[in-house]
Amino acid sequence: MILRSVLAAGVALATLGGAAAPAFAEDVTIKLWSRADRSGPMRPGNIVDAADTLNNMLAAAGSDKVVKVELIETNAKGFDADALDLLKAHSVGDTPDIIVAAHEWIGAFAQAGLAANLDGHIEANPNLYGDVIPALWESVKFKGGRYGIPQDSEVRMFFLNNDMLRKAGKSDEFIAGLSEAVNAGEFTMDDLCDLAAEVKNSGASELGIVHRPNVGPDFQMAMASFGIDMYNDEEARLQITKSGLKDYYTWLKSCVDKGALPADMTTYSWDSVHAAFRGEKAFSKFHGIWNLGAQLEAFGIDPLDGDAYFNKITWINAPAGKKGGTPKNLSHPIVYVVADTPNKDLAAMLVALATQHVPNTKHAVGTNHTPVNYGQAAMPDFVTKGWGLVAGVPLLEYAEFMPNHPKIGQYNAITFQGVQAVETGEMTPDEAVEMVIEELETELGEDVIILD
Amino acid sequence: MRASSTRRQASNFAIFLGPALAFLVALLVVPIAVDLVVAFTDMAQTVTVDEFTTKQFKKIVRVSDDSLLGFELRGSFYRALTLTAIFVFFTLSIFNVTFGLVLALTTTALPDRLGAFFRAVWLLPRMAPSVVYALLWIWVIDPTERGLLNQVLVNLFGLEPVNMKLDHPMTVIVLSNGFIGASIGMLILTSSIRSIPQHLFYAARADGAGSLSIIRHVVMPALRWPLSYITVFQTLALLVSFEYIFLIMGPSRSTMTMAMLAYTKTLAPSIGSGLYAYGAAITLILIVIGMVIALLLYRLTNMKSLLAQPRIEVH
Repeated sequence: MILRSVLAAGVALATLGGAAAPAFAEDVTIKLWSRADRSGPMRPGNIVDAADTLNNMLAAAGSDKVVKVELIETNAKGFDADALDLLKAHSVGDTPDIIVAAHEWIGAFAQAGLAANLDGHIEANPNLYGDVIPALWESVKFKGGRYGIPQDSEVRMFFLNNDMLRKAGKSDEFIAGLSEAVNAGEFTMDDLCDLAAEVKNSGASELGIVHRPNVGPDFQMAMASFGIDMYNDEEARLQITKSGLKDYYTWLKSCVDKGALPADMTTYSWDSVHAAFRGEKAFSKFHGIWNLGAQLEAFGIDPLDGDAYFNKITWINAPAGKKGGTPKNLSHPIVYVVADTPNKDLAAMLVALATQHVPNTKHAVGTNHTPVNYGQAAMPDFVTKGWGLVAGVPLLEYAEFMPNHPKIGQYNAITFQGVQAVETGEMTPDEAVEMVIEELETELGEDVIILD
Repeated sequence: MRASSTRRQASNFAIFLGPALAFLVALLVVPIAVDLVVAFTDMAQTVTVDEFTTKQFKKIVRVSDDSLLGFELRGSFYRALTLTAIFVFFTLSIFNVTFGLVLALTTTALPDRLGAFFRAVWLLPRMAPSVVYALLWIWVIDPTERGLLNQVLVNLFGLEPVNMKLDHPMTVIVLSNGFIGASIGMLILTSSIRSIPQHLFYAARADGAGSLSIIRHVVMPALRWPLSYITVFQTLALLVSFEYIFLIMGPSRSTMTMAMLAYTKTLAPSIGSGLYAYGAAITLILIVIGMVIALLLYRLTNMKSLLAQPRIEVH
């Protein structure tokens, strides 16, 4: 069914192209912008492979068009820096045709006239997109329109080291019940810090919890745990709650005071954060599911042995800020954006082909990201090698996305300033809230709603 | 005849001064002009200009009833200015001038080869690529017992390990910039000391002057101009310096000087940058501060008489 519609689409394209094309072969170069990223080489790779499929279809239809993909591989330090580089290139007319980007940049891309609205393309090809997990479409929406295609999804979590818990005298029943207690709202963020401090003080670990050292989605996930709803859908504006922010910063301070969180966490390098958990110095790490591969290697666990892994490590959502509250998760999908260029129809077809089950599973299983299509979970590769991803799916139940607002980058950077100020002891939680609110009001102005 | 000579003058001007002028305009005048224009726009991530406005400057102050002017600097700017002042003052006074002077005096007092060796050692940080130099610093001050400093403190002196990045961030950036900055002062002052006629030293010795008196009465008077020059030049350089601060400390709040603030708001990776107009406004303020300080120091050190034409001509 799917194959037939892919063929049909290919033939339709070829006919369209053929009508206008001269008799000799016509090379169409599709420029693909993607940052070199260890956590997903198949993101651009699948587009390059899709060109072969599309060319076969074009040839079968007798078209003289040959699609070539020119990969622009950037060395930006992260998706934010990469998006800014892309916007600069776009501003001088150097716009690529397909972009691999973090979803929250879609707002800025649409506003800059860079991203093409893909609603028409998606509706015209229901058989290519019909199995995409519906919730993921939310991550590509800007002002009601869809400006991208989900490339992968993920779950984030606190990884807890069970061996250390056992060393600290915790029973296997306690460990097995942790995830459930978090989901029931019985085990809170404060409890997590107490537990980390207890493990550390018992001598079972050198460090308590480690988190990312720089601006990023994990902090939004923790903020959501303290009841901060970052986006007002009706007004399409960002928002923040003062009381929630104060609770969040107070929690960070108490974690540092208890010794559960290093005060200089924000000056760590990424390598030291990874090494702290994989080298079994830290009891817990706050990050995402794609860490699985490196953890298996570091702990010397057979990649196919899920039981051995979960005997050593427990995954929990970010617990609720207050007892009885809901835990939170944050999925941060990477998306394909098709630029509004003359090649956009061909580019969109390449994206459609790369989104199919087989290529997407190569990426998902290879790099430990949750899939974009429902059906992928039943594929043999997934069933044998993807046990970790299957285990991550229940966490998705509590997942939210970052808002696709053009100023979300600033919002994250400013709230991170507060994290750094509180953790290093430069400010009290109250002072940090005051500073962050003032910065938000000044830098974001009308784009942010401040709630008490 | 006259017309052709004028033409030749014009073509000579173009050939000999043209490249230098083009260089000056492209690398010095144009960036400042661009900064001036961008500072009064709303240019952000999308790199488009929708309006000309002064709103970037309004972000720097806040309304205050207590203040005489009716407004005061916002917390982050007040802090950035203070950190800049501390950074520039201590790096300059301890290292770039004083330590540079000490190095010049001591290495010229040593036998030539030994002096040259020590000068070469102090030039090493300047010669090393900045990333390598920064990496060495990161290793030296690593808060765990892997760090060189902590290895020395713990193993040699039996002290507790220290966390310099967390507890003494400004010391880190003053030291790391100072070790590099001292070498320029050292070079300029060494050459100045070398250019003092030898007979003055002999005469002083013959008159019974000791080493300290020679330094005070023979060497120091000859170093007045070079010292003034180093002070003015290095103040301006340090005001806008952020390379080593960023490489060693990252976008840390504790070392967020004005230059770092401008960088993190515009081009720094992964810290909410992309606010080009806002960063340009901060840079513009930095340019104005630099100009005021330069003029002030120019006056204070009487630089005018240094640059004046000599009254007599020696043949």
